[in-house]
Amino acid sequence: MKRFLTFKWILTLILIAITGYLYSRDGVITTSVVATALIFGLPLALAAMVGIMCERTGIVNIGIEGTLLFSSFIGFFVASTTNNGVFGIFSAILAGVVTGLFLAFMSISWKMDQIIAGTIINILATGLTSFLYKQGHTAPTTSPIDIPFFSNIPFFGQVLFMNGPLVYFGLVVIFALYVALYHTSWGLRSRAVGEHPGSADTAGVSVFRLRYLNVALAGAVGGLAGAYLSLELVGSWDRGFTAGKGFTALALMIFGRWNPMGALAAAMFFGLAQAITNQLMFADVAHIPEQFVNMLPYVLTIVVLAISAGKVRPPAAEGQQYEKEQA
Amino acid sequence: MNKRLTAGVAAFALAALGFALSPASAAVKTVDESSCGMAGAFCVGVVTDTGKVDDKSFNQASWEGAKAGADKAGGFAKYIESLDSKDYAANIDLFAGKKYNVIVTVGFLMADATVAAAAKYPNIKFIGVDQFNGSTAANFSGLIFDEDKGGFIVGYLAGYLTKSGKTAAIAGGPSTIPPVRKYIEGFANGVAFAGKEQKKKLKASTVYYTGANAFNDPVWGATTAKQYLSQGYDVIFAAGGRTGNGGLAAIAKKKGAFCIGVDLDQWLTLPEAHGCLVSSAEKRLVAGVSSLVGQIKDGSFKGGNFVGTVGASPYHDLASKVPAAVQKKVAATLKKLIDGSLPTGVKQ
Repeated sequence: MKRFLTFKWILTLILIAITGYLYSRDGVITTSVVATALIFGLPLALAAMVGIMCERTGIVNIGIEGTLLFSSFIGFFVASTTNNGVFGIFSAILAGVVTGLFLAFMSISWKMDQIIAGTIINILATGLTSFLYKQGHTAPTTSPIDIPFFSNIPFFGQVLFMNGPLVYFGLVVIFALYVALYHTSWGLRSRAVGEHPGSADTAGVSVFRLRYLNVALAGAVGGLAGAYLSLELVGSWDRGFTAGKGFTALALMIFGRWNPMGALAAAMFFGLAQAITNQLMFADVAHIPEQFVNMLPYVLTIVVLAISAGKVRPPAAEGQQYEKEQA
Repeated sequence: MNKRLTAGVAAFALAALGFALSPASAAVKTVDESSCGMAGAFCVGVVTDTGKVDDKSFNQASWEGAKAGADKAGGFAKYIESLDSKDYAANIDLFAGKKYNVIVTVGFLMADATVAAAAKYPNIKFIGVDQFNGSTAANFSGLIFDEDKGGFIVGYLAGYLTKSGKTAAIAGGPSTIPPVRKYIEGFANGVAFAGKEQKKKLKASTVYYTGANAFNDPVWGATTAKQYLSQGYDVIFAAGGRTGNGGLAAIAKKKGAFCIGVDLDQWLTLPEAHGCLVSSAEKRLVAGVSSLVGQIKDGSFKGGNFVGTVGASPYHDLASKVPAAVQKKVAATLKKLIDGSLPTGVKQ
């Protein structure tokens, strides 16, 4: 743990130093790259939160991809038919809750294998959205909101305070989740249920109810990520829209050690690597083959993981059914 | 009165019988799959690559072309959407098994499967959309396009539209796919050519997607477009299926920026992009496929390769933003590109 801490801070300092140096060389490009890292990393971070909330209470969720796909579709569909972006966002969140409840129903009430339950969500979401989708529709999308005063700060203004509303909301959700998970009784109970449901039950926590609640809430966060993708980042929807982002998020969750801040950092790091990759190709630096450049986000992630990993341990009761002992 | 009616009915019945007995040389409309393989029937099957038939791009245009060609020939057309590249051969076999006359396969990625199928079914004619035919099979024709010319002409337009002097091209696939590379390099050369004419130094930056979801990652397209926009690039060519579409949709939200679509007149298929879509580097796929289908029907079909035409799509609602002088220059340059008097400088 101590080794990881020092490495983490060294890496952060190095990144800050490099960013500062590059900013002094070319402010526009450096700002643009970091801003891109945020808009690219945020949906991955939110999707990783879905995984964290589920797995911390002992439910494996590999249906994140399905949640993202389904909610981004519903969000776009509702925003398009009602011509109201706010309705779209709320419907996306609701659609996320529906996939969450479905997962909870299959894995908690029916005691199905949780991997299979998640796979069902992925397959169902792909099939359903492909079937219902009709091309040629537009939907109102969110537009960036410049936060007064803060948006005038050089660098940070453009990166943090000139984004769409869902970026701000998403970041607030992630920080709130971190605080809730480690500093509230809900968080303590959730983690206890994920580690040792028997003890939590003995202490009077309803394992079933808490698992249901958390998986549904996680679905809402996934719905927010879906709404962000279709109604803010792209402004469009198409079949197979999410292209595996939900699976990347699972890896980032592990990279971030089932900790919201860790997963946020991992997602931002991945986003940064993607933005740098793009920038290297924009500039056509030394004609490096593009396949090599495109490997960069993955290679960097593996390198950082290899150095920093130490021991990664998932919640102990993850994926296990909980049977209440009968007296 | 009654007698005359009877006679009339009898005459009509005889005529109908005569018609039915006459040989099927008269154009019989093939209405469904069950009659494929019978004399006079004409069936056209389309196998998509892993995109869908309403992908607003390649598969859609090929399907529309096949349908138009089949309608004109009084035939029947049907499509199969491939879900996985492993299914290409099996899907071709499905049509072949039902004795289709023509099988259209869509996209560069299906080239190998098509060559193999053409050898396996010598009596069926194959059209490979966007596939260069290197084989000598007489029953297979590749429908190819000079993408470099299409890219060049929209690059030329971009060079005249940019105010910041910075243009960009986003490719939805890797440069190892020749049509993708030719579009993008053509674009860059077109921008440079426009710069030379105006005695300005114009920038044309390009980026290729080489991840696991080629042509199918709209989020990457949108993010990359935003990265370009935030660095002052104001005319962006987004080429490559849904990845490109994501980019176009994202650019449309930026005031003052232009975007350029690809393959089809995307104005007609992608309303999300209306805010910025000034033109598209268009392959006249519908015309190409339908004229090849027509050649098969009238027997003038030859193997080898058929070069379709390219062009820049109409400006539609953004016509007012393109000065008349520029429109004239674009039209003149396109003519020179097509007749070959102006080389694009792109390696074939």
